[in-house]
Amino acid sequence: MTNKVVMLFVALHLCVSVVAQPCRGVLTGQVLDETGALIAGASLSLKEVSGGQLSDGTGHYRFKSLCNGRYTLVAQFIGYQPFEQTITLTDSAALVVHLVPDLQRLEEVVIEERPLNTEHAHNVVVLNERDLEKTAGKTLGESLKELPGVSTIQTGPGIFKPVIHGVHSQRVLILNYGIRQEGQQWGADHAPEIDPFIASNIVVIKDASAIKYGSDALGGVIVVNPPELPTKAGLGGSMNTVLQSNGRSGTVSGTLEGGITGHDGWGWRVQGTAKRAGDYHTPDYGLTNTGVKELNFSAATGYHRDTYGIEAFFSRFQTEIGILKGTSVGNVDDLGAAMERQPPQYTRSFRYDIGEPRQEVMHNLFKLNGHLNTSRGILRMQYGFQNNGRTEYDIRFGGLSSTPILDLILNTHTLETEWEVTTGRSSTVCVGVTGMMQNNNNQPGTKRIPLIPDFTTLSGGTFAIIKFQGEHWDADFGGRYDYRHYDVAGYNSKNILYKANIHFHNPSFTAGATVRLPRKQSLHLNVSTAWRPPHVAELYSTGKNLGTGAYELGLLLDTASNVVDIRRSDFNVEQAFKGIVTYRRDWQDFFVEVTPYVNYIANYIYLRPEGVLRQVAGPAAYFRYTQTDALFTGVDITGQWQLAKAWKITPRASLLRVTDERQHDYLVFIPSNRFDLGVRYEKLTVSRWKDFFIESQVRYVLKQYNAPRAISPRQLLDAKAQGENPVSDGRNFDFQVAPVSYALLNVSTGISLPAEKLRYDFRLGVDNVLNTSYREYTNRLRYFADEIGRNFIFSMKCIF
Amino acid sequence: MKQTSIFRSHAVRSLFYFALPLAGAITFVGCSDDDDPVKEDVPELITTVELTFTPVGGGTAVKATATDPDGEGTDELKADGPIALKTGTVYTLDLKLYNGLLPETDEEYDVTKEVEDESDEHMFFFSWTADLFANPTGDGNIDNRDNPVVYADLDENGLPVGLTTTWATKEGSSSNGAFRVVLKHQPDLKSATSGYNTGETDVDVSFVINVAE
Repeated sequence: MTNKVVMLFVALHLCVSVVAQPCRGVLTGQVLDETGALIAGASLSLKEVSGGQLSDGTGHYRFKSLCNGRYTLVAQFIGYQPFEQTITLTDSAALVVHLVPDLQRLEEVVIEERPLNTEHAHNVVVLNERDLEKTAGKTLGESLKELPGVSTIQTGPGIFKPVIHGVHSQRVLILNYGIRQEGQQWGADHAPEIDPFIASNIVVIKDASAIKYGSDALGGVIVVNPPELPTKAGLGGSMNTVLQSNGRSGTVSGTLEGGITGHDGWGWRVQGTAKRAGDYHTPDYGLTNTGVKELNFSAATGYHRDTYGIEAFFSRFQTEIGILKGTSVGNVDDLGAAMERQPPQYTRSFRYDIGEPRQEVMHNLFKLNGHLNTSRGILRMQYGFQNNGRTEYDIRFGGLSSTPILDLILNTHTLETEWEVTTGRSSTVCVGVTGMMQNNNNQPGTKRIPLIPDFTTLSGGTFAIIKFQGEHWDADFGGRYDYRHYDVAGYNSKNILYKANIHFHNPSFTAGATVRLPRKQSLHLNVSTAWRPPHVAELYSTGKNLGTGAYELGLLLDTASNVVDIRRSDFNVEQAFKGIVTYRRDWQDFFVEVTPYVNYIANYIYLRPEGVLRQVAGPAAYFRYTQTDALFTGVDITGQWQLAKAWKITPRASLLRVTDERQHDYLVFIPSNRFDLGVRYEKLTVSRWKDFFIESQVRYVLKQYNAPRAISPRQLLDAKAQGENPVSDGRNFDFQVAPVSYALLNVSTGISLPAEKLRYDFRLGVDNVLNTSYREYTNRLRYFADEIGRNFIFSMKCIF
Repeated sequence: MKQTSIFRSHAVRSLFYFALPLAGAITFVGCSDDDDPVKEDVPELITTVELTFTPVGGGTAVKATATDPDGEGTDELKADGPIALKTGTVYTLDLKLYNGLLPETDEEYDVTKEVEDESDEHMFFFSWTADLFANPTGDGNIDNRDNPVVYADLDENGLPVGLTTTWATKEGSSSNGAFRVVLKHQPDLKSATSGYNTGETDVDVSFVINVAE
């Protein structure tokens, strides 16, 4: 605990020792188009202040901690004329921004100025600065869960993998600072290696339209956007401290940024985060060995002039996460016992120690990018290098527990070039070429046959996107062609070397449109095809998965576990056809957004249970990567009702149904239908305090009724004893029936204190106020333990 | 703490990688890893469980083995047998575990040693068709730890291990049934009361057994 006291002291001290002006003013408003329809994701900045922001899902923006004086607000959004207006601020001011479509001067909208990498996207949700403040201290995946249509595949309280419209892992592309995140995404327990504190906003694109980043975003794209670098001299920053009762965790994150006196255009930023948590606990027992240690660091610098800009960025993410010890099972019989046992085996009193099973993950990113505006167009180039290390430890014998069972290093180089030109009065064309080289190496010494082989990937792609702009609409069409080559070398289950050389290539297409309708309505449509080369893990995996004691076998392994040539297998590339529509309407005090979608994924790859095998360690369940045709249909609904001036009611629903079209069955681990209701009271000024709010949120998650049948480990064993295989019919199953529906209540309150030289934001929240015991269907540990119980969260942010 | 060592080595490795980011960009064009990956030895893997019943008074030992030659592959475990014991005889049962993916000359071919070294975390449990033996009586300690099994070895805490056990068949009429051997790994869990449901299973094999005159 003393550590944390010291950290808190340092945080406070850092804050008060920086000199700045007394700044208490607030500028708020909304971005609307000429018809009065709101514009989400518009970029806003004040000329006199460094940093900018995006309008949120309801078009709103808010600048805080401003000194009294004159400001120039600049707003930009693709396809609209830049907006500029000067205002005089005394304590607070409100300004509604009306953007006017820009038909003639489209080429002058400098896209580099938009922190969003979403200029072709139509179906977008944004987690803005305020939302991120609310989720401070949580992982990236857990933060994203706040957005409609986004959920997670979870492994205990520390590992969250984002899921967009029921689709995850390789099918969700994450752009970190404009670079495709390349880690070991294939694992259901491998969370994205990104510190959410580096983002000023996170955008989720729910269609496959972001074609320039790859063909494989079958589910969507998550864009982690940093704040823009300062271009003027000065010093600014923020310090975040988050304390949580559950897990007794502490997180400290700080940012410092500035320019260089006498060198306008230069800017820099350094940022770091440290986090430590011990065992989390459910309402009834501790979750032994679920602690987290995290240490992240990033630095950026850039030089920007009117016609060109260059930026360099480095970030390091490093974490160690414990996995619930009670999940350690040797065979199906152990799994059956573990599922019946409450609390889980090995449960002991609270500790910060992390023992086996656990993961250590490290991700380094280096990026260099630049752009050049010429009279003929904009040229952009970007190089990225990523170095990802992942080691996993399990309870082993022979004194091997401190030897990892998996030790992988993945190095990825990416190079991207694009050229964007305005070709007519109202159209632009963007063409580009991308290349990637990736090397995955098992580090020798694990004393275990590697779960996935070594491989080298070479891939290249080229794309073209054309955008048209009309008075009340805009439209875009894109095409892309990709090639990928794998050079694979690994060992099969008999520890015999195999090698393979395989390649894939395919086109993909997208078409989208935004139509602005009268009465503040808008319609955003997108249809796209996407394809995804299989991951090496899906083809060649051989070995045991942590957590269920089950064996996972790749698509290219035959019944005798020998590797077969892909040309002699019945493998087909996964291909998606997604259609999505977002309808928005804004009444005076009520706003609604409805997003229905359908996604048909042909040759969808998933792990299908095949049966139970008798091994030396007893009966083991085995799963094989299999292909089917999957149909995802769903709708996201968000509303916001402004009740009087200070009250806001926000209802939300995410509905999804996924079917296995070949088997006429359901798939496992698909998020069930969920409903949220938020009530918020706001007061701008409370004597010398600012921005008071109190809010409560009720989340109701239905049981997953569209789940495959349940066959318990006991039933599997009994059938095996009688020489039967209840899963030989090829249909899917789960070891346990889906958990029952649950409701959670969260409350939080916050206030800002503008002090002499800085501003403090205080927030106090309680998650799971009623200490409800429940299990979430998409948590892989639901077989073993409940979700975490009541959690008090205190956070303090200091901005200077 | 031992956990930090890997962290540190990763730090070193990654620093090394970052010394050459541009070199990386250059090798972009034609870098491919032609070296074969290193073959791992897999000391924990058990492919063979060997049971040797040796008559205490002398005579021919009876052997039975269960093997799964492809380890974690999808070939099923095969148990030979039946285990043919004589009535009214006292046997010493020695259990041996082997890793058949390694040559017999390899130091780690015999996995039994690993269990011996960690005997304070391991324990064998047995079950059999009731009343095959005069001693121990009953049907074994898998369903109930307190049921009798005659362990002939102890770990450093004075708790039974089970690599060596003693069995006395009944006098008189012949009988047959099943014989099951289970090895549990019970790190920090092994105690005087920890049973079959404690810890993780390393071995679980069954044989047909005949006791005849």
